[in-house]
Amino acid sequence: MAYSSILDWIQFKDVMSNPFYPYESYNLPFDISYKLWEILGGLISWLINLIFPGNGVSLWLISDEVSNMFALVLFMVIIFLVAFIVTLLSLWMERKVLGRVMDRRGTMIGLKGFMQCLADGFKTFMKENVIPRKVDKMTYMWTVSLIIGTSMLIACMIPLSERWFVVNYGTGLLIIMALFALAPFFILVSGWAQNNKYSLIGGMRAAELMISYEIPMLIMIATTCLLAGSFNINDIINMQSDTVWFFIPQIIGFITFIFCATAEAERVPFDIAEAEAELVEGWQTEYAGMKWGLIMLADYMRGYVSCAMVVIMYLGGWLIPFASADINGIMPEIVFLIKVWFVFFIMIILRGSLARVRTDQIVNIGWKIFMPLSVVNLAIVLLLKMGGVF
Amino acid sequence: MVKEYLDKYPRNPARSLWVMKPVWKVLKMFGKAIIHRPVTILYPYEKMWMPENYRGRPGLRFDKCVACGMCVKMCPTACIKLVETEDASGQKVNRPQVNIGRCAMCGYCAEYCPVDAMTVTPEFELAEYTREDLIYGPKRLVYEGITEKMEIHLEQTLMSDIANGNPERRVSPFKLDRPVLEASKCISCKKCEKVCPVNAVKMVEHGVNEKGRPILYPEFNNDTCICCENCVEDCPKDALHINEVL
Repeated sequence: MAYSSILDWIQFKDVMSNPFYPYESYNLPFDISYKLWEILGGLISWLINLIFPGNGVSLWLISDEVSNMFALVLFMVIIFLVAFIVTLLSLWMERKVLGRVMDRRGTMIGLKGFMQCLADGFKTFMKENVIPRKVDKMTYMWTVSLIIGTSMLIACMIPLSERWFVVNYGTGLLIIMALFALAPFFILVSGWAQNNKYSLIGGMRAAELMISYEIPMLIMIATTCLLAGSFNINDIINMQSDTVWFFIPQIIGFITFIFCATAEAERVPFDIAEAEAELVEGWQTEYAGMKWGLIMLADYMRGYVSCAMVVIMYLGGWLIPFASADINGIMPEIVFLIKVWFVFFIMIILRGSLARVRTDQIVNIGWKIFMPLSVVNLAIVLLLKMGGVF
Repeated sequence: MVKEYLDKYPRNPARSLWVMKPVWKVLKMFGKAIIHRPVTILYPYEKMWMPENYRGRPGLRFDKCVACGMCVKMCPTACIKLVETEDASGQKVNRPQVNIGRCAMCGYCAEYCPVDAMTVTPEFELAEYTREDLIYGPKRLVYEGITEKMEIHLEQTLMSDIANGNPERRVSPFKLDRPVLEASKCISCKKCEKVCPVNAVKMVEHGVNEKGRPILYPEFNNDTCICCENCVEDCPKDALHINEVL
């Protein structure tokens, strides 16, 4: 067979023309990964064809079905990497801002201190995998895997824009919330499994924290969905761009939700499950090395998801107000991330200024302050809805 | 119902806003910190400005030193020792050697040096790989660029000056105190003449004794004497002591 150019094997086909395209609308990361696979798969099939001319594997590798499959694998990698880098940037921002709040410099290693995050991650990954002898090994490993796994799953599931999503389904906000609320159960079981008093107290406190903030938080999510008339994230954001950002009609809910989201991410001042000043490291006491590093990463991923929830529900998502569709179409992902980091900045300032609540105070705060406020918020929204404003 | 609630929780509702006070303070602090530089300095890359009389390691002016041994006597950690070395013209001279590993950086050697040959320096990065490297010989102790302000002068106010209405005057004790002879104890051994580092002692004949041998009493040149007390310490009969004479 005659020599074939590599350009014969790399055909930049339109991703939407693929009959096995898995989405209904245009998806940017899938497009990127599809094009990446066209280059990679074309190169591989060209090389195989050079060695074994006229074989079937080369044609199989660049067929529509197989391209789609490998593009989905690359798609997962891209989605995870973006969530990972966003999380690392939040971590870096927290370190720098907290440093400035305390009149320090924060981390200083490489790229204004960003490389310190990578160095820390690398260090924890180099550590030995230590499992204490008296823990319940199966529960010990499974719970931490599930905590990290659900956190990373929801971090990946946050849509960055109308074209950057994993799945676009009708109950988006509810599914994210459900997965988000799973972690305290695993924390409770993990605290029990570790056979350590600090872990057990930490797990109990996580459960206590959950019963105090979860219900007002769900009421506020229901309020937003009521206002928007949909659980779909796209619909909520389009509704906000059509009317006003939802933090204007439900300012009470916005402020309360920021505190609830802080509690959901278990950050200061609601980090009573960790409480490194009272309990050694709370429920993470027996986890060392790579597991601890991943738990920390998962913590920050949950922080990122909390901020993303605030942005989706109250701050208009990826759309700039009063801007035309052209301007909004340039970089909606960046707009979304900037808003997320703004909310994260508020959380860092809260962390720098407030002391940790006591275990008896958290239930009081949850049921005597957050709960009435969320009900008041719901009442206001109901009045607005019934009055025909929205 | 509201009244019942307020009776039960008699707190001003505005107090619930206490949360905002620390938040506002932290925001102000953050604003200040991003406009100004933080207090922290990046030590290995940036160094703090050091005053010239910072108590770092001791420094030596090799030519000014007279090997009186005052620093050896005054060192509270006993880390200074006089060792024999060669000066520029090849002569054997005694000069101080400092064990920096024991040095407390108190600056007493510089303070008590009567000729201001020993000084403090702003050098404080003294880590070495072995303990032997920490011993600074006289040649290594020499510090380039010793300035006036690295000398430390020991000065005092005299009670007589205060009485005479001149309390601002500061005098060095090395200019006031001089050795005084108790002639009846002296045995004319000439030891004070030998130990004087600046040759300020001269043995002068005061007649002869009953055996016909000359009686020698030391006489002190008050201008060149630096009050190092070597003669006082080495006198075998304790015939000398230091007194405030000038």
